[in-house]
This record gives sequence, structure tokens and C-alpha cells, in this order.
Amino acid sequence: MPSFAAPQQAARPDQTLARNMTLLAHHELAGFGGLGEGMSMQLTAGGRRILWLAHESAPKNFTGVDVTDPKNPRMIVQTELPHAKVRSNSLDVVGDILAVAYQTQVPGMQPAGMDLFDVSNPEAPKLISHFDCSGPWSRGVHAVWFVDGKTVHMASGAPDFQPRNPLDDQFYRIVDVSNPARPVEAGRWWYPGTREGDAAPPPQRLTAKFDTGFRAHNTNVFPERPDRAYIGYIDGGAFVLDIADRSNIKVVSRWNHSPPFNGFIHTLLPLFGRDLWVVSDECVQDNGADWPKLVWMIDARNEANPVPIGTFPAAPHDAFARRGGRFGAHNLHENLPGPASFRSETIIVGTFFNAGVRVYDTSNPYQVEEIAYFVPGAPPLSPAGAIQLNDVFVDERRIVYTVDRFAGGLYVLEMNV
Amino acid sequence: MSAGRDPLAGRIPVTLVTGFLGAGKTTLIARLVRHPDMNRVAVVINEIGEIGIDHDLVAMSSENVALLANGCICCTVRTDLQETLRELFNERRAGRIGDFDRVIVETTGMADPAPVVQTLVSDTLLGAQFRLDGVVTLVDAVNGPHLLGSQPEAEKQIALADRVLVTKTDLAAPDAVRALEAAVHAINRHADIRHVVQGEIAPAELVGLGLASARAGAATLRFLGEALDAGAGEGERYLGSRAPRHDPRIGTLSLRFAQPFTWDAFSAALQLLTTLRGPDMLRVKGIVNVDGRPVVVQGVQHIFHPPVTLDRWPSDDRATRLVFITRGIPAQAIRALFEAVGAVAAPG
Repeated sequence: MPSFAAPQQAARPDQTLARNMTLLAHHELAGFGGLGEGMSMQLTAGGRRILWLAHESAPKNFTGVDVTDPKNPRMIVQTELPHAKVRSNSLDVVGDILAVAYQTQVPGMQPAGMDLFDVSNPEAPKLISHFDCSGPWSRGVHAVWFVDGKTVHMASGAPDFQPRNPLDDQFYRIVDVSNPARPVEAGRWWYPGTREGDAAPPPQRLTAKFDTGFRAHNTNVFPERPDRAYIGYIDGGAFVLDIADRSNIKVVSRWNHSPPFNGFIHTLLPLFGRDLWVVSDECVQDNGADWPKLVWMIDARNEANPVPIGTFPAAPHDAFARRGGRFGAHNLHENLPGPASFRSETIIVGTFFNAGVRVYDTSNPYQVEEIAYFVPGAPPLSPAGAIQLNDVFVDERRIVYTVDRFAGGLYVLEMNV
Repeated sequence: MSAGRDPLAGRIPVTLVTGFLGAGKTTLIARLVRHPDMNRVAVVINEIGEIGIDHDLVAMSSENVALLANGCICCTVRTDLQETLRELFNERRAGRIGDFDRVIVETTGMADPAPVVQTLVSDTLLGAQFRLDGVVTLVDAVNGPHLLGSQPEAEKQIALADRVLVTKTDLAAPDAVRALEAAVHAINRHADIRHVVQGEIAPAELVGLGLASARAGAATLRFLGEALDAGAGEGERYLGSRAPRHDPRIGTLSLRFAQPFTWDAFSAALQLLTTLRGPDMLRVKGIVNVDGRPVVVQGVQHIFHPPVTLDRWPSDDRATRLVFITRGIPAQAIRALFEAVGAVAAPG
């Protein structure tokens, strides 16, 4: 097609782009608008909706926002971290119990582990217990999955876990919190060969440019299959584990696109009714340096033989790769089992850093279709110079909540799909 | 709430603007594209030179797509409408032009709008991204009365219209304007009539004509024209005594069926009707009780939009309600056909 001087409208980071999504509200969270990948919704006894948000980095720990009226979100509490070399990054709430992850910048520091809070009075979270994961080789907990009120599945280090490579410090741990005052480890699994003393040989690493570690990221267990854990193990690939016997966890299947791709598998989201898995990567380098970071559709009719059947149509590379910061896949809305979570076997919502939040119709898994997106204009003072949407949560009213990694805070959106 | 996708929401709505030569389409489009509310609207026009936008031009993204200062995207038809709409979507997908939430298409001159409707309804590739919102027809108060008597296309443009804009009302006698309105309503009882002088119109008046969601609500009833029909009952309407002459066989018919249909029976009856009298079936729309479920149907001649099953009934009324605009087909004949086919069809 002949064309000249084609201005790339989408490449201008100050522009807000939108298709079938409408901004209901934007909250900058009192100037601390850099948020991690912990978003969870509490329905209080009094009928309020509190959206709990984990911060990307110090000084703030977590923030509670009352989103009962999605057009008028109100910040009700914002907590502090003890020092600047720890971050909370991830959280989940079940009933009135909030689990928060703590990861330190380097191994050997504290607090590195998980806190449980009583948030029955959301304005004043009360610490119930701290589960310590610190140790000479441990940075603590990167991500928690807490949906049944009894068990926390996490990506964590441990005092007794010495990785062969420091990038491989976080593995899959199951923590029994049925007595929230005394959490205890109930199981663990790591990629064979990554721990000092393993019989298996160390894994073949990606090239230095893309070597981001053989460690756990999202560790999801759903009520539909309490005997399965769905794990994104970063450069190790996507794992499904048989956790029926927590003292003897077994690998059911493993799928990895790297090499030749550039590593960092983040999330494995099963669509139970359709025997499909949605697998997302995480982009971790700026300006498209680790492109392509994608969302993959996997046929899982035979869970021992997962077959990739396609990728989600990505936002156009030429318009976004140089828009500022990271460009590529990251978090998905994970069909959480709680009462306030949207669940769909066909509509998948994900965040893509500078390409915003995007909504896909997967009714035809061989030809996934993008049906909506919202790309906020660059937040003021963002060091990336562009939006960097990091995580997303969709409530059962189909209201979409998404957060910026650096400065923009919380965006509340309506989908017209 | 449904966890799946709404078959209509999210499709970009397309409004067709029709009208005879001289009815004021170009004047209307030329003013419209400069309106401040045209941000995020794409307008497909025949000839960019005609509307004189040089001073408002910000950028050309390609030889036939222009961006105006107010955010309006102006696009000239290159080969045909299908290709133009695909190109618009692809340019947007690639990030070369901004986002747009709707499209307004200026149809050409004499234009029987039915083929354009067919393009939009039957092209499944386009249908994945766009939906026909509706047809807006311009009729000028000075020449309209003569055209209605002499040009079948003019009557068809009225029959297919969701909204009729009467132009040049400043140049015609009030009585003549009222008579023209009566003639329009005699053809198309549900057409919403508005006056426009010198193309002065808010973009909002060209949108929101069609069914935008399968989620039933007040908008569904408005779409079905039920607000207008309250207490009207069933039957046929004929033109008033002062109206200009038009083909007296064209008129609006409303039918109710208390018994639910099976989809097979309903679609067979409709197919039979369009096979026998397609050219005279100017338009049909309504809500059908298909084994208890509400299904919205709409069509132009033999072309039907994909039927839409609503998530629930929009009101307590569970009867099938259909509105036809036909040329010389009596309501009773249509009723008898649907009942006969329903009686013969296998039970659901």
C-alpha cells in the first residue's frame, strides 16, 4: 500500500488510546502510584469493596482503595515498609485475611517472607503473623497465591535452600495457614538441578542477555483441581505439578518456548472447561530489547503433551517498541475463585506495559482476537516516559482495575465487549 | 453477568447517510467533520475536495486518510466501501491513525442504500469489526415532495431510514414541511424525523440508531420502536390527506404473534416471504419468541442481519412483535403465511 510520512499516532506516549474501554476513574494514590503485581478484592461484612494493591517498591507497602463506587475510588489506607531495600510486590486477600509477600534487594536481609494481616477493619490492618523465609541465599517471597483461606502457594527462597546460581533462589513452596497465627511449610518443589547438592545436573541457561533465572513466579492452584499446581517457572518454562501428596510433588508436564525464545514464563492460566492453557511471558527489558514477549495458547487435552496452537495478537511492534519502557506481555487476570472476581473461559484480560491493558476473545483458540484495549497517556514524572501497566484485576461486575509500574497509580475501566 | 462476549458490543458502529442529490449531504458532512464532538469519529466520504478541509488538516496518514484538528479522521473511498473500512481498521490496528469509536459513511448520489446495507451485513470479515448502526436519510423540504412521487429510490431511502433529516426547512412553507413529514411517516411509521438547516447538526444525532448490545434494556425497546407504538395495536397505516403523493402501496405493518416459534419455522416463513416478494419487502425488524427466548431480527429485502439472542426479555411482553415496511403486501397475508408455516413445521 503506498503511504508517505505516515505518523505513528500510537507511538506518541502522551496519547491515550482506547478501543471498547472507557475510563471510569483514575487514582494516583497520594503520589505513590508505582504498583507491583498484587491486586485482590475484599468484600467486607459491611458490603464494601476494598481493592488491595501491592507497591512495586519502597517506601510504601500496600494500599487499600474503596471501589464500591467504581467511579469514585477512595484510598482508605496506605502502609509503610520498614526500610528501602525491601518490596512487597504481591498480595492476596481471602475473607478478612490479607497475605503480603516481602522480597529484599539482596539475599540475607530481612524482612524476607510473608505477613498475614487481619483486615476486618480495612482502615486499620492488624498483623497476625510473619512467616520468615530469610536466609543467607534467600531474598524472600516474590509472589503469593492465596485463594482458599487455608493455603498459601508462593515463589520463595528458604533458609535451607542454597541455589547453585543466585538467580535460581525462589522455588515453589506450599504454606499451611489454616492457623493464621502459625503458618507452617507443607510442601515444596524446585527445578531439579538448581539446588546445591541436587543429583540432577544444572539446567542449560539462556544466553547472558536473557538469563533471568530458573525460579518460580506464579504458583496457582484452583479449586477445580486441588491436586494440580500451575507454575510459571521463568526460564524453566511452564510446569504443571501433581500436588495431591504434598510430601511427594511430581511433574505432570512441562512446556517451554525457550530457547529459541527469550525466556521468562510468568503465568500459566488453565481454562478448565476447554482443556486449554493460557501462558504469559513477562517483558523485562526496555525498548523492545527482549521482544517478542507474548501470550501463548496451549492445547492441553493431553496434559502430559501440551501443544502450542497460537499466540495472542500482539500490539503492533513498530508503534510501541520505542514508545518508552517495556513493551510486551506480563500479568493476566487469573480467574480467581473468590466472590468478587470475574471468571471467563473465553475473555482474557492482560497487561502489556506500554501497550496498556488488552482484552481478548479466545472463543476460537486458533484465532484469538483482540477486542478492546486501553493505553493511558504517560503518567507525569514516570521515568519510563510512557505508561507501564503492570497488573490487572477484573471484578464480577466486569469492571477492570489496572495499575502502572512507576507513577500512574490505579485506572478503573469499563469494558464494552 | 455473562462471562462471554456480547455479539454486538465492541463492534464499531457504522451510520449510513443517504439522500438524493441536492438534499444537502455534502453541506451536512462538511460542517459535521469540523464539529468539536467529532473526535474519535471516522468519516468516509466520496470526494475530499468537495468539503474543503484544507485549513483543518493536521496530517495525512496515507493518500486517502486525513486527520483533522478536532481528532476527526476523514477517509475517501478508494475502490469500494469494504476495502475502505478494512483499511481504516488496519491503519488503526497498526497505530498509524488514532482510535475511533464509530464510522459515518456518506453514500453516493442516487443511491439505493440496500446494497450498502448488504455490504455491511453480509461481509463476515467486516462483520467481525463493524456493525451497521443505522441509516440516516436526508430529504429536502423543497424538492422532497416531488421526488417522493416520482423516484422509487427516494421512497426506499425513507423506508430504510432509522432517522430522517428534513433539510431546507427554512426555504419551505410550514404546511409543506408538515405534509412532507406526514408522507415520510406514511411510508415509515417509526422513522424519527428531525429538522436540519445549513447542515447544522450535532454528531450525537447521527448515532445510537441500532441495537448496540444483546443485553436487554430500555435501549432495546427504543430500538424496537415500542415507545412509539404504545397503544397503537396491530395493523396498517395509510397516509394523511394533505401528504404529498407517494406510492400508496408502501406502508408500515405491525404484527403480533402470541404463540412462540421454533427457529426453523420462523426462518422458513421469512425465507418464503423474501423468496416470493423480496423486492417488495423493504424492511423488517422485531423481536421473536423462539421457544421462549427473545431473538431480535432485522432485514432489508432479502438481506438479514445475524439474529441476536438477547440475555433476557426487555419487558413483560413475551409475544413476537414484527414491523414490516412493504410494497403492496397486506398484513393479513403475512400473518397467514407465518401461521401456516408454523402449523406445518415440526414441533421444537
